[in-house]
Amino acid sequence: MSVPNSDDDVTTAVNERVTNRGFGRILVALYAIMAIGATTRSLFAIATKFNQAPLAYSLSAFAALVYIIATVTLARGDATSRRIATVSISIELIGVLVVGALSLIDPGAFQKASVWSWFGLEYLLLPLALPILGLWWLRHTRPSEEAVEV
Amino acid sequence: MTGLFANLIIGVALALAVWAAVLAAANKRINRSLLIGAGVLEVMLLAYLIGGVVQMIGTDRSFAKFEFLAYLVGLLIIPPLGIAWAWDEKSRSGVAVVAVVFLVVPIMVVRVQQVWAGVGA
Repeated sequence: MSVPNSDDDVTTAVNERVTNRGFGRILVALYAIMAIGATTRSLFAIATKFNQAPLAYSLSAFAALVYIIATVTLARGDATSRRIATVSISIELIGVLVVGALSLIDPGAFQKASVWSWFGLEYLLLPLALPILGLWWLRHTRPSEEAVEV
Repeated sequence: MTGLFANLIIGVALALAVWAAVLAAANKRINRSLLIGAGVLEVMLLAYLIGGVVQMIGTDRSFAKFEFLAYLVGLLIIPPLGIAWAWDEKSRSGVAVVAVVFLVVPIMVVRVQQVWAGVGA
């Protein structure tokens, strides 16, 4: 005998066009982890050893700010948040690509590793994956009215 | 801060991450067994924080103490935050969030050990 709807089976189809449900739940969690990690590490670095690598630590702090904005806007998911998320995640993608490429071409450029060095290898390449997933997710959950508008 | 207990925390967190991933694959939600496991882990993390503070006070070595404390406190806070965020998610993504959070715990425990040993200063 089959039990079509046991208690903890998932019954609700997830087809809402919101950024903070379904896969968005995981995406926001990953962004939050990066936000916490990058914020605390860059704050400690800036407080204790900023002079060793001002550029790298400033970049990490900037990355941390972008992660905080992405976390909050994707978690909120209203129209304004979507716009802010799209802009900041686009900046994030450019940032990780440029810094990642520079760190490979000229390893000495940043003195110390920033969050985006080697495309975020220190963070399991999450910094490279997140903006790609983020922009895809924003597109995937785009409200249909917007899609119809030219 | 290294040693058996830290490895035990890593083992429990990894086991819970696997269990959460299995539940996600099976399209299940957060269930009682996962919550009990999370509770056990939380008690272990509290003991880890207390042990860490005691050992920190008992040593004259210089290492990044604020960073050390931040990791220990973060370890305690992040699992409940993750579960709260995942709680009312109706899809399998909820339990997947829990899997991600449990995977972060071993990484942070390794960082605690590195900071304690003075690596990466």
